[in-house]
Amino acid sequence: MMPMPPFDAARDLQISRLIKAPRSAVWRAWTDAASFEKWWVPAPAKCKVQEMDLRPGGAFITQISEHGADFVPHLRACFLAVEDLQRIVFTDALVAGWRPAQQPFMTAIITLEDDPGGTRYAAHVMHKTRGDRDKHEELGFFDGWGSVIAQLAAQVERLS
Amino acid sequence: MANYSERLDGIFQALADPTRRAVLQRLSKSPASIGELAEPFDMALPSFMKHIRVLEDSGWIQTRKEGRVRTCGLDKKSLAAAEGWLSAQRAVWEARTDRLEQFVTAAPRKK
Repeated sequence: MMPMPPFDAARDLQISRLIKAPRSAVWRAWTDAASFEKWWVPAPAKCKVQEMDLRPGGAFITQISEHGADFVPHLRACFLAVEDLQRIVFTDALVAGWRPAQQPFMTAIITLEDDPGGTRYAAHVMHKTRGDRDKHEELGFFDGWGSVIAQLAAQVERLS
Repeated sequence: MANYSERLDGIFQALADPTRRAVLQRLSKSPASIGELAEPFDMALPSFMKHIRVLEDSGWIQTRKEGRVRTCGLDKKSLAAAEGWLSAQRAVWEARTDRLEQFVTAAPRKK
């Protein structure tokens, strides 16, 4: 199993939650399309799973309907890893069959672990940063702006 | 929404340069004139001005001219926006996890 990638505070988010239910129930809520549709988007919006092909390279396509309007594309992604009862990794950087997508934005790693109180559910979501930059600049850019924002925020808080 | 994300592109792109990051860091302490800002850099003024324009166009700073001196100051709205997009994504995922938790703990379990 790939180790968890390091957390990048500038463009990642991480959520960890203890869910009082067995791992199999959480897994089913995620991997059964009809169940998934019930919680993925906030009511009154509705979610429709068009494809949920749970295997590496499989399509993961959902639609959303807001304010009673027609269903429109929502998520158009590709599963990268599906490990029974343990882990789901998907990205919208690729579409089905690992074909590169038009507008990559994120990769999400969902993990489930047994916990005495139920299931430890975690989502690590890694985002592409906005803006075009050449490859050369990429690393410095990523290393740089997160800390700048943090520092600026600290300064601004102090001033105001 | 498209406009908002275009604006974010500009905000983050402006940060993709060490000179501009250094200028922002300097300005986070207090407003400063172009002369003061340019001083630490071994750079011709026209090149430095390009960086100032990028920061101004992307909304990071505001400049105003008094007599012969142009003063730059930080525009805090960009900071809020830069912090905001990740906060917004976090809110989406937090709420999503709430709903999953609710769904799983409320739904009668099938065998």
